[in-house]
Amino acid sequence: MHRCAWIYLFVFACAVLPAQHGEENPFDSHEALTEGRLLYRTNCGVCHGMEGRSGRGARLAVREHRHGNSDAELFRIIQNGISGTEMPGLWLDEDSIWKILLVVRTFEQNAGDACELQPGDAEAGRALYFGRGGCRGCHTIGAEGGKLGPDLTYIGLNYSRDQLRIALRDPARDVAIRYRTVRVVSADGRAEGVLLNEDAYSVHMMDPAGRLRSFLRHEVESVRKPGGSLMPAYGNFNSVEMDDILAFMCTLRGPEAAQ
Amino acid sequence: MKLLALLIAAGATLGAQVTVEDIRSDPERGEDWLSYHGGYEGWRHAALDELTPETVGDLRLKWVFQARMDQKFETTPLIHDGVMYFTVPQNDVYAVDAETGRGLWHYSRELPPKLIACCGEINRGLAMHGDKLFMATLDAKVIALDRSTGRVLWETEMIDYSQGYSGTHAPLVVKDKVIVGVAGAEYGIRGFIDAYDIATGERAWRFYTVPGELEPGNDTWSGDSWKTGGGSVWITPSYDPEANLLYVGTGNPGPDWNGDVRLGDNLYTDSVVALNPDDGTLSWHFQFTPHDTHDWDAAQVLVLVDREFRGEERKLLITANRNGFYYVLDRLTGKYLHGREFVKQTWASGLDDSGRPVLLEGKDPSEAGTKVYPMVAGGTNWMSPSYSPLTDLYYVTCREGASMYYKGPADDHQPGTRFWGSMFMNEETNHEWYGAVRALDPETGRLVWEHKLFQPAWAGLLSTAGGLVFAGAQDGWFKALDAKSGEEKWRIQLGGPILASPVSYESRGRQHVAIAAGQGLFVFALP
Repeated sequence: MHRCAWIYLFVFACAVLPAQHGEENPFDSHEALTEGRLLYRTNCGVCHGMEGRSGRGARLAVREHRHGNSDAELFRIIQNGISGTEMPGLWLDEDSIWKILLVVRTFEQNAGDACELQPGDAEAGRALYFGRGGCRGCHTIGAEGGKLGPDLTYIGLNYSRDQLRIALRDPARDVAIRYRTVRVVSADGRAEGVLLNEDAYSVHMMDPAGRLRSFLRHEVESVRKPGGSLMPAYGNFNSVEMDDILAFMCTLRGPEAAQ
Repeated sequence: MKLLALLIAAGATLGAQVTVEDIRSDPERGEDWLSYHGGYEGWRHAALDELTPETVGDLRLKWVFQARMDQKFETTPLIHDGVMYFTVPQNDVYAVDAETGRGLWHYSRELPPKLIACCGEINRGLAMHGDKLFMATLDAKVIALDRSTGRVLWETEMIDYSQGYSGTHAPLVVKDKVIVGVAGAEYGIRGFIDAYDIATGERAWRFYTVPGELEPGNDTWSGDSWKTGGGSVWITPSYDPEANLLYVGTGNPGPDWNGDVRLGDNLYTDSVVALNPDDGTLSWHFQFTPHDTHDWDAAQVLVLVDREFRGEERKLLITANRNGFYYVLDRLTGKYLHGREFVKQTWASGLDDSGRPVLLEGKDPSEAGTKVYPMVAGGTNWMSPSYSPLTDLYYVTCREGASMYYKGPADDHQPGTRFWGSMFMNEETNHEWYGAVRALDPETGRLVWEHKLFQPAWAGLLSTAGGLVFAGAQDGWFKALDAKSGEEKWRIQLGGPILASPVSYESRGRQHVAIAAGQGLFVFALP
């Protein structure tokens, strides 16, 4: 092939062919970011927070994302979701996903240490967690603990101290869909747990013992979803104890840290 | 002897041919299901009466066809001469034995890697005529398949799909033409509906749902906004052979949620257009939602009924629209006769004498978000309603609830990219949503009965001569209701959301009911 033809092909490829899917974000304009913000607000903000500082979903204002950091990895996560978590894949075209990723990158620029280790004594906090706090009855760290509440293995990566303080003092303020409370009253008594599923004829829960229970609506007296959380509010911790347990929770950044 | 065998073979083949008269009279016979609505009138009513409120309790699952897919299964199967034909989302087609579900042939379509489909890569079904099946494809082609083999007989490009166009609805055969429209109003398309010669695939006419320069109606668009005006066609039209009029429901204007860049009524979006199927000329139009800013496409099945209206025999077109109102029109003239809301709506104080909505203040999308009933998916949507001549009731799947409507910039449209003008959000409102199957008096729209559903449903309805209405639900329940009272008579859990409309047919003398759910096509009959 004539040299000019090679040059032509190269220029053509650069000008016409789209960026290889999954390699690098082809967008970087202000307009794309503006559109991305709208997309983010509707598709992501409810769980991740409008500024990526978390809420129900993972904190995005971090320097390193747990499931991957490259454009390609984050694209796949937004497109396909993360199995085994509440993160769904988004039914969006590729351009929209790239524009959302632009927004996520702006959050990273604001990333600080999500959860400050100080003040507080993490060891004292650990004692509280496993002792008087009774937290392990419902929460898992690594392979240890109860199943009713959210897994806390990575909690120190995803939430700030302020968010954790609110979660401890006022757990009902924002309850993730997966942890909504359901209360069933039947001839056998009252059952309470987190709602796993329901339809027109049945309701399904995990009770505090971790048992999966199912009820037929026509066999029970009432099914209520009272809102709120099954987690007690920890108003009885004094300020020192609160600092201690927050310091401990901030150390929880993966299975190794949880040892 | 050889000649006799040939004649018998030819006779057998001819006997299996499907004619336009077969399609027209299908609702009276009931043993087949030859077109998307089961007849031109859009009734989705089966003239079979083996299943009744008394017998349906014994209905059993007969067979299931599992198809691999990762998209929504919205197909309506067609049945003729003992064979069922249906599409799966990404434009594959199957022919199976209607008695056993065993596969006979499979057409696999290779689609381009990047399709442009706002709401999933889906397909709602086929049309049938002679020895052919017709399908609109996600890459904006119309294809004809040999009904015996699945071989492609012809393929015609409607338009370049990369500009945001796609084909999703089941085509309709009228006379010697197959009628197909395009989806894509979320991508700044200019919508149209086409007619193709059933023998050759050659295009006979095109009607643009957004009028071009100097055409009547173009002045309802500010500036050049008509060029990206939307007005998609993504549900199968209805047809009145006597009046020779084709009734086409049209989609939303683009951009969806920002009307500032397309001032005016934006004809013929969110409308019904009545077309002459011979040449595509417009006879009349009626617009349900002028200058829509909530994405309330008129992509509902239009039901044609001849009945009394205020003491006078009329030829009516009835429809429950996505905008929350039920309408009665004279289908020969397009004259508005009556309307009333059939779900909660908070955007209009009512309809004026011409059927135009009387708008309430402050219901447009806003930057901060505006809560409006009905939700963005509407008081109902594309799923089929049903009309039963036995009960003289109109049955419709209802969606009760609001959305938050947001407004954003919409200035720069690039072909093939999203042109929405911001967004909607349901997270803040969906806790109060619910669904219902409702039976309405066709003359007044008055509620006769209601069967509540746990969630707003995406499943259509089938009424039968046995006095039943079959309905599906988002939570996977498929049900039979008493057509007179709405009382539930039978149900089965199908293990996946039902996003399709049921059909009924006869095989070996027994009435069968078929519905797509999850990734399976389920067929039921009495033991």
